[in-house]
Amino acid sequence: MRINQNTMSSILVNNLRRQTQSMLQRQEQIATQKRINRPSDDPSGMSRVLEGRSSLAAITQYMENTNQGKTRLTFMEQTLGFVDELVRQAHGIAQENSDSGATSLQRSNAAEQVKGIYDMVLQFANSRFGDRYIFSGHQTHTAAFTRDSDYNATYHGDAGSFKIPVAENVEVAIDADGRNYFQDAANGGVNIFDQLRSLIEGLENPDVALGSAQIQATVDPLERADVQIANQRSQIGPKLYRLQATEEHWTNVRNTVLAAIGREENADVAQAIIELKNLETAYQSTIAAAARIIQPSLVNFLK
Amino acid sequence: MTHLLGILSIGTSALLTQQRAINVTGNNIANVNTPGYSRQRVNLETGTPTQTGIGWMSSGVTSAGIERIYDRFIGVQLNNENANLGRWEAQQGMLERVEVVFDESGGYGLNQALSEFWNAWQDLSLNPSGTTERSMVATTSQNVADAIRQKYADLETTRAEIDSAVKSGVDSVNRLVAQIADLNRKIASIEVGNTAANDYRDSRDLALNQLSEIINIQSHENSDGQVVVSVASGRPLVESGTTWALQTQINPDGHTDVFWSDLGGAEANITGQIAAGKIGGWLKVRDTHITGYQSQLDAVADGLRNQINPVHASGFGLDGTTGTDLFDNTTSGAADLRVNPDVLNDLDLIAASATAAGVPGDADQAIKIHNLRTAPTMGGTATFDTAVNTLISQVGYDVQTAKANSSHQAAMTSYLENYRESVSGVALDEEMVNLVKFEAAYNAAAKMISMADDMLDTLMNIIR
Repeated sequence: MRINQNTMSSILVNNLRRQTQSMLQRQEQIATQKRINRPSDDPSGMSRVLEGRSSLAAITQYMENTNQGKTRLTFMEQTLGFVDELVRQAHGIAQENSDSGATSLQRSNAAEQVKGIYDMVLQFANSRFGDRYIFSGHQTHTAAFTRDSDYNATYHGDAGSFKIPVAENVEVAIDADGRNYFQDAANGGVNIFDQLRSLIEGLENPDVALGSAQIQATVDPLERADVQIANQRSQIGPKLYRLQATEEHWTNVRNTVLAAIGREENADVAQAIIELKNLETAYQSTIAAAARIIQPSLVNFLK
Repeated sequence: MTHLLGILSIGTSALLTQQRAINVTGNNIANVNTPGYSRQRVNLETGTPTQTGIGWMSSGVTSAGIERIYDRFIGVQLNNENANLGRWEAQQGMLERVEVVFDESGGYGLNQALSEFWNAWQDLSLNPSGTTERSMVATTSQNVADAIRQKYADLETTRAEIDSAVKSGVDSVNRLVAQIADLNRKIASIEVGNTAANDYRDSRDLALNQLSEIINIQSHENSDGQVVVSVASGRPLVESGTTWALQTQINPDGHTDVFWSDLGGAEANITGQIAAGKIGGWLKVRDTHITGYQSQLDAVADGLRNQINPVHASGFGLDGTTGTDLFDNTTSGAADLRVNPDVLNDLDLIAASATAAGVPGDADQAIKIHNLRTAPTMGGTATFDTAVNTLISQVGYDVQTAKANSSHQAAMTSYLENYRESVSGVALDEEMVNLVKFEAAYNAAAKMISMADDMLDTLMNIIR
C-alpha cells in the first residue's frame, strides 16, 4: 500500500482521538466513582440499577413504617402499663374497703382517690399519638371516651384498626378499638369504667353494709380487669417482635440491594486508574512516535 | 532529421515537456492538502518517429496528456459508506440529546419521582389526616406529572430541532445538486475536446461525497461523462445539467416532511424513503425513536389516570367527599398530564379512607393506592416502575447501538478514505523525487542545446 503523509496524519489523528476518548472515559469513572454515568454506558446495567433504586426506596419506606409502628406500639404498651397500675390500685382500694370496718371518712377519701383513678384511666384511654387518639378506632380526631357527672363512660370511636404497611401487600394491624381495651363487656370481659363507677358508688353509699356489698362485687372484676389489660399488653409483645423481625429482614435486604446496585453501578477505581495509566503511556508513546514519523520528509534532505 | 537543427528541436521538446512535468509536480505539491484532490501525472511519449536513411528515428518527447490517478470503483463505495456514516452520526448526535432528557444516573428523574410518589402514599397511610402527609402526596403526584409532561415536551423540542436540521439538510442537498449539475456541464464541454477535466471531476467527486453524507443517493456516470444522481428509489436529482430540487413541507403533525417534485410540479412525499445520510438518521430518530419513547410516556400517563384515578375516586377524602380523580381526567396522553387542580386547591380531597365512616383514621384506600406500585398496571404485565425503567434502558440501548454503529462506520469510511488516499493522494517524497528527476532531465536537455550550439559554432567557424 502506498502511504503518504495524509494517510499517516489521518491515522494518527484517529488514534489520538480514540486514546483521548478512552482516557476521558476512565477519568470520568474515577471522578464520579461510577461505571454507569448515562443509560447508554450499560443499558441493561442501568435497568438493574433503576430496579434496585425502586426497591431501595420501597425498603427504606417499609423500614420507616416499622419504626413508626414500633414507636406507636411501645407508646400503647406503656399507656396500658399505666392503666394496669391504676386498675391494680383501684383493686387494692376495693379490697381494703370491702369489709365494713372502714370508717366513712376513710371511704370518702378512698372515693376521691378512685375518682382520681377513674379520670386518669380516662385520660390514658384518650391518649394521643401525635395529634391522633389511639383508642378511638378510625375516629382519630375524636376523644375515645367521655364521662358524665355520674361517671358513666361513653365510647365515641369505632371498630377501626391502625394498619402499618410492612411489606408488599402486607400490613400489621393494631387494634385501635378502645372498647376492647377498656370496656370488653360484650366479650365477657370487664368494663373497667363501670367497675370503677360501682366502686365509687359503693364507697359513697351512706348505707355502709350495702356499700360494702357493692365494693365487694367489684373486687373480683377489677382483678380480672387487671388480667384483661395484661392480656392486651401481652398481645402487643408479639407484634413488636414481628415489626422488629421485619425491620431486621429489611435491613438485610437493603444491604443486599445496596451491594447489588454498587456492584452494577460503581466503578472499579483501582482498575480504572491502572487502565488510565496504561492509556497515558500509550498516548505519550503515540505522540512521541508521531513526532518522529511526521516531521521528516525528503524535502529536509534535498538542498 | 539527423541534422543539427533536429538536435535543437529534440532539446526544445525535452525542455518544454520536462518543464510541463515540473509544472504538474508543483501543482501536486501545492494541492497536497486539498480535499478531494487526485494526484496528476503527465504521460510522456516519444515524439513521432521519422524515416531516415538508417531507419526510423524518434523526434524527442511529447506529453500525451495529463492524467488523474484514481480508482473509479472506490468513489461509489465511499459514497455508500458515507451515507451510512452520516446516518449513524446524526442518529447518535440526536439520541445523545434525548439521553440527557432521561438521565437518571444522578438519581433524580422519573424513577425517583415515582418512588417518592409511592412512599408519600405510605406515609399518608400511617397518618391519614396529617396535613404534611397530604401535601407530600399532592407534591409528589405533581412531581410525577411534571416529570412525565416535561420529558414529553423535551422530546418534542428535540423533534422540532430535527425539523430545522432536516430543513437545512435539504438546502444543502439543493446547493450540492446545483453544483454537481454545473460541474456536469463543465466536464462535458471540456471532454468534447477529448481532454480530461481532471480538476472538475475531483470537485464533482467531492460534491457527490458531501451529498451522500447528507442523503443516500444512487449515482452513475453516463457515456458523456456526466453523472446521474437519484434519490429515494429512483427519483432523479441530477441528469446532465438538469436538476430537480427537494422541498420541505409541514405535515399535519406539525413536523417537516421532505418532498420531491417532478419537472411538471407534481410532488411526492419521500420522507419515508430516506434511509441513510444525515437526513435519514434524523428522520429515523424523529419518526421512530422519539415517537416510540413518547408513546411509552403516553402509556404511563394514561396508566396513572386509568389505574390510580378509579381507586382514588372510590375512596373518601378528609371532608367525606368521594369520586375525586387524583390526575386530571379531562385530558389524555403525557403532554397534558396534570394533577386534578381541585386536589391541589383542597388537600382534604385526597382520599385515604375506604369508607365514609372511616374518615379520618382509616387509611385502607391509601394502602390500596400504594399497593398499585407492585401491581401489573401496564398492560397486565409490567408495573409503573418497570415501564419507566424499561423506557430509560431502551433509550440507553438505542444510544449505545447508534454509538457502536457510528464508530464502526467511521472506521470503515476511514479505511476507504485511506485506500483512496493511497491511490490518489499526493506523497511529498514521491513528488520531490519526481521534481529532482524532471529537473535533472531539464538540465540535461539544456546542456544538449548548449552543446548543439557549440557544434553549430564550430560549423560556422569552418566557413569563416
